[in-house]
Amino acid sequence: MIIGNIRIELEPRLTSPKWLYAAVPAGSLVFAFIVGGVFLALTGHSPISTYSSLISHGYTSSKGITNTLGLATPLICTGLAAAFAFRMNLFNIGEEGQMYLGMIGSAWAGIALAGHLPHVLAVPTVLIVGAAAGALWVLLPAVLRAKLGTSEIVSTLLLNYVALNLVNYFIFGSRGFFRDPTTSFPQGRGVEETARFHSFGTSNTYPTVIIAVLLAVALYWFMKRSNFGYETAVFADSPNTARYAGMNSTRLTLSVLLISGALAGLAGAMYVVGPAGKVDPGLLQIGLGYAGIVVAALARYNFVAVILTAILFAGLRVGGASLQISSNPVPIAIAVVLQGSVLLFALGGEIFRRNRLRIRRVEQASVAL
Amino acid sequence: MNSNVWILTFSDAISIATTLILATLGAILTERSGVINLGVEGILLMGAVTAFLVGDGTHNLWLALFMSVLVGVAMATVHAILTITLRANQIVAGLALVIFGTGLSQYIGKPVEGKSRPVTIEPMHLGKLSDIPVIGPILFGHDIFTYLTWAGALVCSLYLNRTRPGLVLRATGDAPATVDAQGVSVAMIRFVHTILGGALMGLAGGWFMLARGTAWSQAATTNGIGWIALSLVVFAAWRPLRAIAGAVLFGFTLQVPYTLQGQQINILPPEIVQMLPFVATLFVLVALSTPRARKLLGAPKMLGQPFVRDER
Repeated sequence: MIIGNIRIELEPRLTSPKWLYAAVPAGSLVFAFIVGGVFLALTGHSPISTYSSLISHGYTSSKGITNTLGLATPLICTGLAAAFAFRMNLFNIGEEGQMYLGMIGSAWAGIALAGHLPHVLAVPTVLIVGAAAGALWVLLPAVLRAKLGTSEIVSTLLLNYVALNLVNYFIFGSRGFFRDPTTSFPQGRGVEETARFHSFGTSNTYPTVIIAVLLAVALYWFMKRSNFGYETAVFADSPNTARYAGMNSTRLTLSVLLISGALAGLAGAMYVVGPAGKVDPGLLQIGLGYAGIVVAALARYNFVAVILTAILFAGLRVGGASLQISSNPVPIAIAVVLQGSVLLFALGGEIFRRNRLRIRRVEQASVAL
Repeated sequence: MNSNVWILTFSDAISIATTLILATLGAILTERSGVINLGVEGILLMGAVTAFLVGDGTHNLWLALFMSVLVGVAMATVHAILTITLRANQIVAGLALVIFGTGLSQYIGKPVEGKSRPVTIEPMHLGKLSDIPVIGPILFGHDIFTYLTWAGALVCSLYLNRTRPGLVLRATGDAPATVDAQGVSVAMIRFVHTILGGALMGLAGGWFMLARGTAWSQAATTNGIGWIALSLVVFAAWRPLRAIAGAVLFGFTLQVPYTLQGQQINILPPEIVQMLPFVATLFVLVALSTPRARKLLGAPKMLGQPFVRDER
């Protein structure tokens, strides 16, 4: 592109310097805060004081950071779920629904199974059943994608709305299994005490956070070292190469989507063994499944980076929630605006990581192409 | 249960279809150029909240709808810059637009949450036509936009199939390299149609708010209609006229749960009936998006692929 006598060109980089991998997300964050600041200012809130309050309630106070880590726990899982599938160009955007099913499945296990199990097995069983339920919810889109090539994008998303109504049905519509029989107030039936973790001290952080972090590291290691990880990487780069090399694309597609669904289901299960202890409509309000996609994209689908971006986003949410309680309340949706903007900027910024921007003076205006 | 209820249901289905047709036409124009914009739901929400806020402030219906269109244009421009100029992944960019639109519409809509709509798009009475029994109320009792939308679908169809720019548009979606070789800018065609599509999606949101929506109720206002519109594109085989038939069908599935609830017909719990439009959409999508069906349907061949001349 030539403007006046300045030529602007994008030159593909062969290798990107390491610092750019961090600079793009960091820069996106700054730009997102500027965009958010504009909307804050337009609606009569001071951006500076709003952000400083958000940061102190979300990250820097001890209550803030423990709340944030508590919320980040399921978010790490949905982030891993999205990263796992997106890495292979399988766009599972149904984490939200798979997470709801994880909540339902784990609550079922916590009510029906946990009482019959030894203590040490109760929580693991509940988590595994939740993960299985999440995987089950993605089974139909996965089979369709693997066998018929049906786009998984819209099919996984449509199932989110089905799952949402399913949870509503279990809590509000039926007098069935998941509903607390002791009260007419619509709420979930509590799981067995043995099926729950205690939080650390009086905080809102649960031991599940350790599981989530270990899981992220394990996935990172596994996908780097294992045959399966190698095959998915080849498949993601070039499905044809993978096919010529004799890799089974049906099996790969199915397993990647099912594992992704299981990870999202695990997020719902962690919500049950942690803060909720039942099928709880609170999970429907916070959009951790959709946020997981943003978290994964911002982490550039790197499993370890997901931990950091999940904590970052959970902090925005926790800090955002605290802004509602003030004389001039700021709607919590500002957190979602910031999340969306960060992702938009990060997507746009990618080109500057992949390409070098060259701005040159041209002495004589040549024929513009 | 009397026949009047079903007449009303069909009439409502055709009315709701207006939003679906507008959004689907927008998506068809976008996708025909080879760009996939998953941000429909976000644009609908932003269009809806804009129409509500502008209507609330000015009580001017036309200004409200005009601003919805502008907001749709703005959001589609963001998508176009990201995916065409900066070559970002179209799927993720669309999702980012949904998240951004959902968040921003909730943020700026917070003060008017639960308030009923400030201005209303009134249905027209078409004299004797509207008085014909059964057919009258079903076909001739809608507002001006419903009829304009049908005309719009016809115009789109003629544009795509009978004009030179329409031919270039279709070629851009199928074989951008050829268009480029003809000396036509692929990026320009994609920009124009992505933005045009966004304008229609914005209008779809604004119309829905002022004609069908009773109150601004956050993300539940549009409740997934954008995603249904995206499935409709496949159902309509990227052809504008077929979108009308599909939209009426899907409008029906959206309306039936409310009819059943209103009539106190409790064959199934309301939460389960609410799943109907999504399950029906999924079913149709599955039937239609097998590779063989896709080929017959004529999906743009380079849909979702960025075009870079040097990498051709």
